Amino acid sequence: MYSVELRGVRKQYPGGGAEPVVALDDVDFAVEPGEFVAVVGPSGSGKSTLLNVLGLLDDPTAGRRLLSGTDVTSLSVAERTTARKDSIGFVFQDFHLLPTLTAVENVTLPTAFDPGDAGDRAVDLLGRFGLGDRLDHEPAELSGGQKQRVAIARSLINEPAVLLADEPTGNLDTETGESILAEFERVKREGVAVVAVTHDPLVEEFADRVVELTDGVLVGSSARNVSEDAVGDGTVSDDVDGDGNASGSEEPLRDLFGGSRDGDSGADADVAEEGEDR
Amino acid sequence: MNLRAWRPSVAMAARNLRRNRVRTLLAVLGVAIGVFAVATLGIFGNVLALGADDAIGDIGTQVVLSPNADAGVESLSEADVAAIRRAVGEPAVVPLYTDGAIVASASDQQFATVYGVERPGAAFTAAEGSLPERHRDGAIVGAGVAEDLDVSVGDRLEVAGGRTRVVAVLAESQTFSPVAPDDAVFLPESAFSADGYSQVLVVSESGTEARTAADAIRESVNAREQRVDVFELAAVVDEINEFFELLGTFLLGLGGISLVVAGVSILNVMLMSTVERRQEIGVMRAVGVTRRDVLRVLLAEAGLIGALGAVLGTASTVVVVAALVASTPAVDTAIVLDPTNGYYLLLALGFGVGVGVVSGAYPAWKAANERPVEALRS
Repeated sequence: MYSVELRGVRKQYPGGGAEPVVALDDVDFAVEPGEFVAVVGPSGSGKSTLLNVLGLLDDPTAGRRLLSGTDVTSLSVAERTTARKDSIGFVFQDFHLLPTLTAVENVTLPTAFDPGDAGDRAVDLLGRFGLGDRLDHEPAELSGGQKQRVAIARSLINEPAVLLADEPTGNLDTETGESILAEFERVKREGVAVVAVTHDPLVEEFADRVVELTDGVLVGSSARNVSEDAVGDGTVSDDVDGDGNASGSEEPLRDLFGGSRDGDSGADADVAEEGEDR
Repeated sequence: MNLRAWRPSVAMAARNLRRNRVRTLLAVLGVAIGVFAVATLGIFGNVLALGADDAIGDIGTQVVLSPNADAGVESLSEADVAAIRRAVGEPAVVPLYTDGAIVASASDQQFATVYGVERPGAAFTAAEGSLPERHRDGAIVGAGVAEDLDVSVGDRLEVAGGRTRVVAVLAESQTFSPVAPDDAVFLPESAFSADGYSQVLVVSESGTEARTAADAIRESVNAREQRVDVFELAAVVDEINEFFELLGTFLLGLGGISLVVAGVSILNVMLMSTVERRQEIGVMRAVGVTRRDVLRVLLAEAGLIGALGAVLGTASTVVVVAALVASTPAVDTAIVLDPTNGYYLLLALGFGVGVGVVSGAYPAWKAANERPVEALRS
């Protein structure tokens, strides 16, 4: 069962002219639990729309959407909110922490209005992300990398099925970006599906699979480093190293590829190789 | 309403308010001024009305009956008094003999009205000594006469040459009435040899009762013959009360305008702050905070501004009113401490909180219902 799945999803907005703007066109997309997928593509290609539709922030115009096997294509606003809280974690480029809240309070924000205290779990999560000594710091007192770690902890507070990241390294220097991506690896090892929309070649290096969107069409999908159980239908493994042990590997993935790829050009080549897989 | 569900919202709201202290403070100040205006003007109007009621209230409760000279009635007989008693029922009926005489004390003398009365306690109150149930002996002296002649209880007094003793001094009268007790001396009925009463006082508990009594007398005692002149001011008092009610409403309205201005300032503050925090609210919605909870946080913010302002405004009203009472001896403390003034304080307090919530409702609703996708895009 996929953590999240889109089947023939189309999303169009009323444009300025007579023709509606098609942001997603007949997109089939699925992510396994524990799989890290990078979505690349030029600006305006529909990446953010894809993320919004996946994250139940926006509804598809046509097609179906499934979350852990449950059809969530058309839910009410309240149902979508609940589903987001229960199953989806968000990480944003700008971190989007609430400036008035401490690190722990930011992490517990999704459950702040529910009975019960998620504080212990938040402390636990922050500790795991190396922020055990920053629990009561406000975002202004944290570095960019620390803020993004807090944001990741927040996305995990409800043990989501899917973590959706929008340019998670966009505002971070390379070194910090790498450490954040290493955190994503840990997250996916816990069985969480991770989808990152990015321009950053670094993210692609860490991803199990890279898909490219062009003008709302999913033009390519390539498996970079997929463990056996993470290979889903419709994905074609190009078997970079074939050992399929990414999830158990202590070695940072970037070392496996070290310098073998140089970002977009590599992805483009792969995409060309794969062609359309739908 | 589940108050517990509001706790996290209020806690978060309090923090958001602390973020821009100056702006919050100014909004609170706006409400405080509005509440202050409503409370002080409301109390001011109420004190005026209460004071006026206190000063003129007695006129409204007294009906003075005198023989109708036009119809040839020179005095009112025991039969007339009995008829009046039957007509009015509950209120006390006090018949009076009237005369004028030189009243002299050891030191001074003057001309005064002399009344003969059997039951002075029904119509008057004593400042000194006590009023006898049935007046059989001695003189009861009005406050003015007592002061002029410098007499007090126990002193000798000469009335029209007859010697007597002062048994009581009346409290200063607050009323305007044909019967002016301040400048009068009250003797027992036995001191008079007249064959009829010259006036009958009907003393009621309230203006309404007085009016009913006056109407009853007109209908029964005067049914066949206009035997008595009926003098009553209840209708006038009603008019005066109506005026003060209008004045009070007008003053409250004036205060209300400033409260509306305060409401607009809360609206402005909340709109600005929700626009500024658009992304934050979008994030809250994205990570699974419900619309209702976002609404609660924002409503709590507006409500807190309103409540803080209301408390501040109410407190300053209490201080200012207390200072006014302390510095103005003319204001009767008892009137200011009247429970109805507390009602105006509560009213202003409630209005302050209400204005906050009402003004916060639209921005809160707007922010809570914005689609997180739109909010995050900005």
